[in-house]
Amino acid sequence: MEMFKGYNPGKFYDEMFGTDGAVRSHCAPLLQKFGKIDERDFLARKANSELYFLRQGITFNVYHDDRGTERIFPFDPIPRVMPASEWEHLEAGLTQRIVALNLFLHDIYHDQQILKDEVIPRFYIEQAKHYRPEFRGVDVAADTYIHICGSDLIRGADGVYYVLEDNGRCPSGASYLLENRNALKRAFPGIFETLGVRPVDSYPRDLLNMLHHISPRRDGDPVCVLLTPGCHNSAYFEHCYLAREMGIDIVEGKDLVVVDKFVYMRTTRGLLRVDVIYRRIDDDFIDPVVFRKDSVLGVPGLMNAYRAGNVSLANAVGTGVADDKVIYYFVPKMIEYYLGQEPILPNVPTYLASEEADMKYILANLPELVVKAANESGGYGMLMGPTATKDEIAEFRDRIIADPRNYIAQPVISLSTSPTWCEGAMEGRHIDLRPYIIYGKDVKIVPGGLTRVALTKDSLIVNSSQGGGSKDTWVLRH
Amino acid sequence: MKYRLIHRTKYSYEGAVTVSHHLARLAPRTLPGQRCPWHELEIHPVPVGRGVHVDSFGNTTAYFEIEGKHEALEVTARSLVEVFPTQHPDARSTPPWERVRDACQLEKLTPGSEAGAFRFGSPMVPLGREFTDYAEAEFSPGRPVLEAVLGLTNRIFRDFKFDPRATEVSTPVSEVLKKRAGVCQDFAHLMLACLRSLGLPARYVSGYLETAPPPGKVLLTGADASHAWVSVFCGESAGWIDTDPTNNLLPGERHITVAWGRDFSDVSPLRGVTLGAGGQKLDVAVDVIPVEEL
Repeated sequence: MEMFKGYNPGKFYDEMFGTDGAVRSHCAPLLQKFGKIDERDFLARKANSELYFLRQGITFNVYHDDRGTERIFPFDPIPRVMPASEWEHLEAGLTQRIVALNLFLHDIYHDQQILKDEVIPRFYIEQAKHYRPEFRGVDVAADTYIHICGSDLIRGADGVYYVLEDNGRCPSGASYLLENRNALKRAFPGIFETLGVRPVDSYPRDLLNMLHHISPRRDGDPVCVLLTPGCHNSAYFEHCYLAREMGIDIVEGKDLVVVDKFVYMRTTRGLLRVDVIYRRIDDDFIDPVVFRKDSVLGVPGLMNAYRAGNVSLANAVGTGVADDKVIYYFVPKMIEYYLGQEPILPNVPTYLASEEADMKYILANLPELVVKAANESGGYGMLMGPTATKDEIAEFRDRIIADPRNYIAQPVISLSTSPTWCEGAMEGRHIDLRPYIIYGKDVKIVPGGLTRVALTKDSLIVNSSQGGGSKDTWVLRH
Repeated sequence: MKYRLIHRTKYSYEGAVTVSHHLARLAPRTLPGQRCPWHELEIHPVPVGRGVHVDSFGNTTAYFEIEGKHEALEVTARSLVEVFPTQHPDARSTPPWERVRDACQLEKLTPGSEAGAFRFGSPMVPLGREFTDYAEAEFSPGRPVLEAVLGLTNRIFRDFKFDPRATEVSTPVSEVLKKRAGVCQDFAHLMLACLRSLGLPARYVSGYLETAPPPGKVLLTGADASHAWVSVFCGESAGWIDTDPTNNLLPGERHITVAWGRDFSDVSPLRGVTLGAGGQKLDVAVDVIPVEEL
């Protein structure tokens, strides 16, 4: 307990300590174990885990930064611990959400009943940046659009989990979730044995099973590949990692060729037919014949093979419409509309700038709100009202007025904190959680997910591109 | 009227192309007022794969891919088309434009009218105040929608100069509005921007026009070009009505409809990707030949 002495959980919801300073019961066994370790020992183990990341080459790339693009993802060895009951609640909520999102996408790309019933105004769909009307009426494998979803969860001061956003295009980070566990096991061997922590190593297997499930070919083993934009992509490490873990080939656009509506991979033994592509490349770049003509990353003709049903993509084309932060607002309504259920996990309260009353509210309260562009990610295109300068607020006011469809606002949610080792002391730092939901034959969610931590004091921005790190996430058996 | 259509596209590449993939929207649509008994697409070199699908706007879309070195690509679309005389409704009898606008705000549209998708901005047609300002004078309160549409058609025809040197395919509509010049594609996009900014559903139509030969001269081969105009939803009973701001008229037997979409980007006649070549030279020739008997 030495290291945790003097830890101040502060005014936020702390994942390990209650407001009275007492340890939460599900964290007590962990603290007991850590209590036996003194600071010098702890630092040595921490250094050990950092060395592991370095040796494994676990990096990510930052765009537009002079200090070089490739970085080590900062890792904090104090895990985030979650009791079984809490995880069951999240699992049920996330499952409900991905089922509704897939029903929504199928509807939007077919009959559009939800628009005809005026649950979602058509305007928002037609004006969604990533809506692909070209693919209306095209049937996709298993009628499923989002096969892998990374939904970001946060926990407010009230201890309630909220869904902050859904990433239904190419969510990244699952490799860090797996490697964080490996690093922690090396640094603290033995600590897992008696604590009843659920393993996470089934992720690559679940992913591969899903890819097999959506294969259009029913005879023999399907050929699955991972399509990467290449080594300059921010998640290139992860692409290599997941391909290796699944035992499938990693390919770039130029390694694939489309001949008469079938996709083939160039190999040293000639062309090999490809059945399923786990694509880590956005719609815009995937086929220059149909989408951006200037893309050299994609595969010309791929969309024709896809349309003919000769190849499956995970995720399907057009899922980006569900990532739009304006469409996010409607997810609870989708759950009610398609499933007739109450949403298990609430959204963060959200204001849409295109709605007159909301717009008035947003403009009157900018210094208290978080404003987000509807189609940006990675913490870009965002205004944090409380910490913004007058000029930044004025700039966002103009942007919102000029293009209301593309802005939403939310109250600042004070994310929960977790004890984090900060240069010589244990301090509370804000965290979020990104679970990875796989929708194949059934829904699989690896226990926990990637816990991201804002390493800068008081910062609420956990994105790796903005100075965030991560932690191992423990879901307990009991 | 019956027509024989020949649309030839020839790409000459600098150096050899090894692989190319293309999408073509060159087959005339079948409509209540138009029939296409025959259509063929001839492609040189011979594609290794080709197919046809109907896109989400109902346009026949052909796809083809060519493998192996080639220094030129020639695509020839040949069709026989019959266009029937159009009965235009009396403009004064169409509903007030605001009523059409308001009806389209709701989703209770006649099944099949598809008006919903064409009310908003699209990749090449932004909405904005500048467009409503321009169109306002024609859309006075309570004016019958078709009358106002004809007024706008006439206004664009009057105010804008047809000048192929003034714009390129990528020139934004706002610039066309400032320049007061352009070609049929620009006028169609401008009119769409005006109508949609006012809240009316309108779509981009691509096709051909039988250009009348000057008196005493025979029709010159290749003088007929690809053309573009606009179709406006004028309420449930009148339905979609085409209008041509470039020629200031309501299309009749001399307009042949090939495809429609939100704007040009949805209906480009031929788009593709080639691997291997440097630059390319493009030649397009369209013949619209009236025939007495099919």
